[in-house]
Amino acid sequence: MNGAWKKYLGVFLPMALVVAAPMMLRDDEAAAISKAELRLDIITPHNELIRREFGEAFSHWYQAEHGEDVYVNWRTPGGTSEIKRVLDSAFRSAADNGKEGVGLDLFFGGGSYDFKQQADKGRFQKLAIFDTSPELFGEGIIPASQSGETYYSEERDWLGACLSSFGICYNIDSLARLGITPPTTWSELGNPQFQGGIALADPTKSGSVAKAFEMLVQQKIHVHLKAGLSQDEACAKGWVEGLNLIQRIGANARYFTDSASKVPHDVAQGNAIAGMCIDFYGRSFNEALKKEDGSSRIVFISPVGGTSISVDPVAILKGAPHPQLAQEFVRFLFTKHGQMIWNAKPGTEWGPRMRGLRRLPIRRDLYQEPYLSDMVDAEVMPYETANEFVYDYNLTGRHFTPLRNIIRAMCIDSHAEMKAAWAALIAADFPPEASARFYDVAPVGYEIALTEIKKSLKSDDKVDSVRMMNRLGKHFRESYRTAQALAQSAQSVR
Amino acid sequence: MNTKLAYSLTAFVGLFFAVFFLYPAVVVLKEAFYVEGQGFTFSFVGEVFKNPVYTEGLWNAFALGITSTLASLVIAFPLALIGHRYLFPFKKSLSALILIPLVLPPFVGAVGVKQILGIQGALNAVLVKFGMIDAAMPIDWLGEGRFWGVVIMNALHLYPILYMNIAASLSNIDPAMEQAAQNLGCPPWRRLLRITLPLTTPGIFAGGAIVFIWSFTELGVPLVFDYTRVAPVQVYDGIKDLGSNPFPYALVAIMLVVSTLVFLLSKAVLGRSKLGTAPRPKGKNIEVRPKRGKAWLCTLFFLGVFFIASLPHAGVIILSLAQDWYATIVPEVWTTSHYQEALSHPLVVPSIQNSLFYASMATLVDLVLGVAIAWVIVRSTIRGRAFLDALVMLPLAVPGLVMAFGYLALSQDGEAFRFLVQGATENPTWLLVVAYAVRRLPYVVRSAVAGLQQSNLALEEAARSLGASPARTLRRVSLPLLGANLIAGGILAFAFAMLEVSDSLILAQQSEHFPITKAIYSLISMLGNGYELASALGVWAMVFLGISIIGAVILGGKKGGLFRM
Repeated sequence: MNGAWKKYLGVFLPMALVVAAPMMLRDDEAAAISKAELRLDIITPHNELIRREFGEAFSHWYQAEHGEDVYVNWRTPGGTSEIKRVLDSAFRSAADNGKEGVGLDLFFGGGSYDFKQQADKGRFQKLAIFDTSPELFGEGIIPASQSGETYYSEERDWLGACLSSFGICYNIDSLARLGITPPTTWSELGNPQFQGGIALADPTKSGSVAKAFEMLVQQKIHVHLKAGLSQDEACAKGWVEGLNLIQRIGANARYFTDSASKVPHDVAQGNAIAGMCIDFYGRSFNEALKKEDGSSRIVFISPVGGTSISVDPVAILKGAPHPQLAQEFVRFLFTKHGQMIWNAKPGTEWGPRMRGLRRLPIRRDLYQEPYLSDMVDAEVMPYETANEFVYDYNLTGRHFTPLRNIIRAMCIDSHAEMKAAWAALIAADFPPEASARFYDVAPVGYEIALTEIKKSLKSDDKVDSVRMMNRLGKHFRESYRTAQALAQSAQSVR
Repeated sequence: MNTKLAYSLTAFVGLFFAVFFLYPAVVVLKEAFYVEGQGFTFSFVGEVFKNPVYTEGLWNAFALGITSTLASLVIAFPLALIGHRYLFPFKKSLSALILIPLVLPPFVGAVGVKQILGIQGALNAVLVKFGMIDAAMPIDWLGEGRFWGVVIMNALHLYPILYMNIAASLSNIDPAMEQAAQNLGCPPWRRLLRITLPLTTPGIFAGGAIVFIWSFTELGVPLVFDYTRVAPVQVYDGIKDLGSNPFPYALVAIMLVVSTLVFLLSKAVLGRSKLGTAPRPKGKNIEVRPKRGKAWLCTLFFLGVFFIASLPHAGVIILSLAQDWYATIVPEVWTTSHYQEALSHPLVVPSIQNSLFYASMATLVDLVLGVAIAWVIVRSTIRGRAFLDALVMLPLAVPGLVMAFGYLALSQDGEAFRFLVQGATENPTWLLVVAYAVRRLPYVVRSAVAGLQQSNLALEEAARSLGASPARTLRRVSLPLLGANLIAGGILAFAFAMLEVSDSLILAQQSEHFPITKAIYSLISMLGNGYELASALGVWAMVFLGISIIGAVILGGKKGGLFRM
């Protein structure tokens, strides 16, 4: 063998060995399913574990029911914002070419906001399950709404498949180190002790996150309504208090991320003290880091009376290439088997093959024995806690889009100035004049948000909305800079 | 060179580039200049400059670009100079090892960095262990000094590009010049400043342009440090916004102009250098063997750079073997279970097969186009070749997400690129091959240009005067002379294609078409141990790419030839 060949062998032999390793370890069962001829195309933001478990479980169920192999072909362009973009782009082209469908059967997962948006554009078809299994729908099994949240559309074209809520995850080591009591409400995340230690999700990237911020504002309005204020007064006052709370939490924040798993991961690793997080993310990290004594350094809680329980829906897209198969998938999702996959322990009759998904089934009849003892989160009982907070669309529903844009101008785009002002306020022990400047949200009041801001955001003239956002951003940056200067001068006087 | 052939090649390459780069870029960027019902407008670009948040973002990106380039230079120049001048223990191995930053899969590297620099990370654990900080008051490395954190990470990731360029320039300096200065009594430092440094400016500017554009448009590193007021992060945030915000596209347009200006400026400076037209060195560079202590100091310097540059890799490797790595220097419990789980995952084998195919095909396209473009740039005298040279650098300056959305829009049913998406399964293989090829083309062009500039024109002229056709001359004389550069440049393009993120995430939507980067990205989303699984697959990718890069050095030989302008 000459020198040149030795050189080539020296490079390509190790390369071949490295490539061979995963081929030898490959999971044959999953590989076999992928060869089935019948295919179902589902676009989804669900994570890999959910995709894998539901893909395999549906294939087995379909084989048992119909004697045919089926492969679920998951389409995953990213999160809901990427899916929105992909669907917009695909349906636009389909319309230009006179076609109805876009080569996709179902949209599975995301928030009810995302599904309402798509349904409004007429992109879904009716779900047959409402006619074939009417017994499922009603207060006993799947309610039309709960805690003010819609669980399926009036047009019967989308339907919640599992329950979802936002809450707080925190790191007990970090809290102990800083001498902070574990938070139980959203308001506590605005405590200055959390400065630089809060991990937040970005409401401009996800409808579900924006919804969580809306809850936070609405909770403040509820307080005033309970105290006997008229709706107008309660809304005006509660709105300002809600925004001020978002300011405090935002000022404590390290970042606003678009990555759903970053928040619990950073909290688990101690990079953040606490964060705003989807329930099953918090529970999964809690479980993964459990020690032998059953304790875990990351804890997830639902803030008292501060969150409603919403759903992750499923819908069949118009012009679906496999409409019957798609209807069968929906049917499977709402069988007891399909529902138990969300929360059953691995190894139980209907449990997942790999590991627990830690999500909550929508079927209310499963929250009892004998099903409950197979569930990982048997103690959660979502339908019992759901009524601690009742979402009222009339209070803040129409503010949904303005609110997330206000948060963008108030907290995200002006984050550097906001954090600097907050640090100065803390150092000076919150002098009144500086605090008043920091909390000045007059240009984004309850009525203004619904009129001027909403009108500008909905306007066809994008330049107009861009200018409006620039104006708001300028107001907040100047407020924070002034608040910082006032706080610093107050501190130097002291 | 035959002018007709040069024009034909330029037309062919220009057409490919116009269709597969400019067209999708324009489709997306038109949102910055076009309003439905109102037509063309500069309002959005104007508003960018009126909004202090965006001007600050642009300025910060520019400052990051400049400081990262300077910091890379501070690492790369001494490395290249020492490597050029001295013989020292383990020189050959260390010269290959310091290229390690090139094999780091982007977001996995970020995971490794956070494990080390996090509040409960390994660095703070070391400082606590040695009593240098109080365990109750750990340092927030990622939260404080974000700008400089990004600069350091950029420099440690990008110095190899400058290192290879400077090494190329140094190898082209005629030693007689330095010897003449020495004979005339010029002291070493003055010789360095007056002779060596000015003669290496072509390499510095060549690498500097790439490093600048890269760090000016870098997204991943600022995101790790949560440094958001910087243009690429603002573009990313804007694109992902639920509302349709035209700002990010206006920002991209401005970033493109800045990148082009910087490239043209560096070309202008390069054009003024006498080295560009200087003959090949007549003398042979003689490497000096310093005294034992000094030789080991050189080894230590190389080792030190390797050690610091490989910290993110070390973070990824340790995490992939950790049961739980938290607040300790290394994990308390080790495991190989993440490798078993990650490598056996059904996504992995198809994704490896896909990535190998996509990256190989893209590299092949790049090699063909790269040689054609380099041929026109170096050997022809046609007008506009400098423009062509600048044009092929532009893919470096357009954020990957922007291009990915352009390809996505154009590959829908009835659109221009639909033919690249095949069959009922909408297989995006050829779309990804084209997308990868366009974005990796600059590296192969630079490599091929360097090879052509270094190969002896007289040999080609001799072949032509003996009656060989241009094609035969290319096949029998030029390509064999270019071989080393092309193998090295090609394997490098292959490695970068294997690590491609944006196009992979957006265009490969079905698991059967996933490339390896999207498989890693999917594993990260597994709750609980997703980061560990992604690290395990990331380590697999690093080993594979490490072998590729070392293969490039071994098979390509002249690593100094890469990237020369």
